[in-house]
Amino acid sequence: MRVGKRSGLIGWICGLFVAQFLIHGFFISDQWVKNFAPAVKNHKGVITGGLSPDQLMLELFGFREFLAGILWVRADSFFDQGNYDAVLPIIRLCTILDPKDIDVYATGMWHIAYNFTDDDQRSDRRYIAPALALGQEGANANPETYELYFETGWIWYHKIDDDYDHAVKWFEEANSKDDIQPARRNLLAHAYERNDQPDKELETLYKNIGISETDAKKTTGSMSYGDKATVDTDNDNIDNTIIRMTQRGWFAEKDGTYAQGDYDTKPPFDVGFSARVTVESEKVVRIEGTWNVLPVGTRIRLVLRDATIYDPSGKERIDQPAQMKWDYASGVNLDPSKEVTFMQDQGFVKNRRFDKRIDMSKDPTMYPFDANQKVYYVEFFYDPRSAPSHIQDKFGWNGEGMTDKNYLNTDVRPGQRCLYCKLELTRDQILRRHEWQDQIPVVQTPNFNDKAASGADDRVITLGGTLRGQTK
Amino acid sequence: MNAIYNIALTTVGEAVRRRVLLIILMIGVLLLSIIPSLSVLSARSELSTMISTMYAVLRLTSALIAIILTIYMIPNEIERRTIYTILSKPVQRWQFLLGKYLGAIAALALMIILMSVVMVVLFAVLQHPDTAKLIEIAKQPIFYFIEMCLLAAVALFFSTFTTPLVNFFLSIGVWGVGTVLNPLYGSIANNTTANHTMQSVAKFVIGFLPNFSNYDVKNPIINPGQQLENTTFYSFTVIGYGLIYIAGLLIGGMLIFDKREV
Repeated sequence: MRVGKRSGLIGWICGLFVAQFLIHGFFISDQWVKNFAPAVKNHKGVITGGLSPDQLMLELFGFREFLAGILWVRADSFFDQGNYDAVLPIIRLCTILDPKDIDVYATGMWHIAYNFTDDDQRSDRRYIAPALALGQEGANANPETYELYFETGWIWYHKIDDDYDHAVKWFEEANSKDDIQPARRNLLAHAYERNDQPDKELETLYKNIGISETDAKKTTGSMSYGDKATVDTDNDNIDNTIIRMTQRGWFAEKDGTYAQGDYDTKPPFDVGFSARVTVESEKVVRIEGTWNVLPVGTRIRLVLRDATIYDPSGKERIDQPAQMKWDYASGVNLDPSKEVTFMQDQGFVKNRRFDKRIDMSKDPTMYPFDANQKVYYVEFFYDPRSAPSHIQDKFGWNGEGMTDKNYLNTDVRPGQRCLYCKLELTRDQILRRHEWQDQIPVVQTPNFNDKAASGADDRVITLGGTLRGQTK
Repeated sequence: MNAIYNIALTTVGEAVRRRVLLIILMIGVLLLSIIPSLSVLSARSELSTMISTMYAVLRLTSALIAIILTIYMIPNEIERRTIYTILSKPVQRWQFLLGKYLGAIAALALMIILMSVVMVVLFAVLQHPDTAKLIEIAKQPIFYFIEMCLLAAVALFFSTFTTPLVNFFLSIGVWGVGTVLNPLYGSIANNTTANHTMQSVAKFVIGFLPNFSNYDVKNPIINPGQQLENTTFYSFTVIGYGLIYIAGLLIGGMLIFDKREV
């Protein structure tokens, strides 16, 4: 080949390489990432972490979904063995390898939020934020289906059981998807009710009935047994809600006549809250208190936590009254701060008092009582929005029918009348160190009534008259 | 032109007779046929797992065939001294190389078509999908074919100056790296904390290597319902990209082969 021709061809090669570089850079790369990238869109880094060399080979050669399937089967066996910690990295790998596997996201969220518990089956609340972040990521990766919006809403509604506006937001998104199951549409209605939006609840229930009827017309012409049952339930819920809205003065509040009317929520009932916390031994506390409500069904939230809590990066403070800022995480981090102590339990009220012994000594990983924290808060919280209906009938959705001389609070949950009380314990007191080795630390509210809390002044109610069928 | 056609035709005949290629093809077909039984791995996404694994088998088998088919082409001709009889005729070296390449991709096309037919038939028998779904499933093998043409060009380029063994590992390496270039690009582009200069260097390097991941478009096929933008434009662009890269490699190969002592 002549020298001139060779130089010309070398020039061609250079030109072609520049052309492919430009085509790739300007027209292909971003388009591929947008349309065809299999990984989660906001996942940073090449997906290699945690994979063994043989798994990495499989992934590189395109067996992503196959590998995710194998790993998920492996996770199942770890779950059966009770090795929950081993399941976590597998969940993450599976979601990265196959972000379209909804089951992995849904089961993973449930597992993270519910299954990490201490010796007494109390959930490790530090895992709620990663569970929510996983739900958010799964919903972003699968926006065409209702499932992960529903599952994330369920964690807010059921597990967090507070801040129902978040549950509403997620359920609304789930209900906007075509594939939602009829029975699951009702969860939005329940979330509206707990969020003091019974009018929206009614609207949703009517809409659900309409959808069931339209669906029936489209298919067989008559409703299936399941649809009929759903519609019957919706109708019952509508009746109940209208009655509750009337009796609890909801309509009157809206038209400004609440003060003039006589409603079940009037006059506000004094719950007579008081509490005492005794550190019986290292990391073992007894929490007692009074609650002047006779019917059973009250559960008072008990929280023992670090006075200050920061997110794992240490930048954002995430402690809030009787809860954490659960949705602080911008990405999935399955390794939440191991220095944080956050215990949450419930004091079940019976005979107008509650008494709970909480042993945190058996789970040092879950309750580390880090040396950097000197002060701990014991918080008591009661929100009528989470109360059962028979108690809510008196207290109302926003606590209009509830009062307390000392601990009624309208700040911790704006727009609601809650009960909130905070007591302080030091780390030395909880760990029974230094001067507390031989002394029993006790903190209590000034109004704590030892006699009432111990049940010594219980009133015995004797039913008068003759019971049916009983002879004198 | 006639010389190129004749060399290509002979190459197809040789490829079809090569046992090692037929064995790889047979293994590929066997693997494809056992994949439906693996659907147990993923209860609700059995369909996507099945299709994606079928595609992965098709891609891996095609890549092996493309590499093994091409790495021996030039060295075998030199070793058996058959190249002398060809080059003693009025055939230019570039015509010989181009004929060999075209023959290789024709043989490759036959094998990919065979595997794709097996895959589509299996899918049709097991899932009873509509025609539109079958046509959609058949799209990805077309992209794989272009990817394998590019891989064959890479292997042929290397075969003009290396031994088959070295060429095998070189080609496998280039393909392996090339299949993760787009995810790598995506992760670099998304990583806001990385050094800006390093990001630019990485993007520059990625831009020069043959990018095989451009042809991996299976994700919306196995996970339907995604919003796609400008797919027709994308298809033409990646085909153009492949042809430009192949042309560059073939010209490079011709220049090296022209200087080589045979």
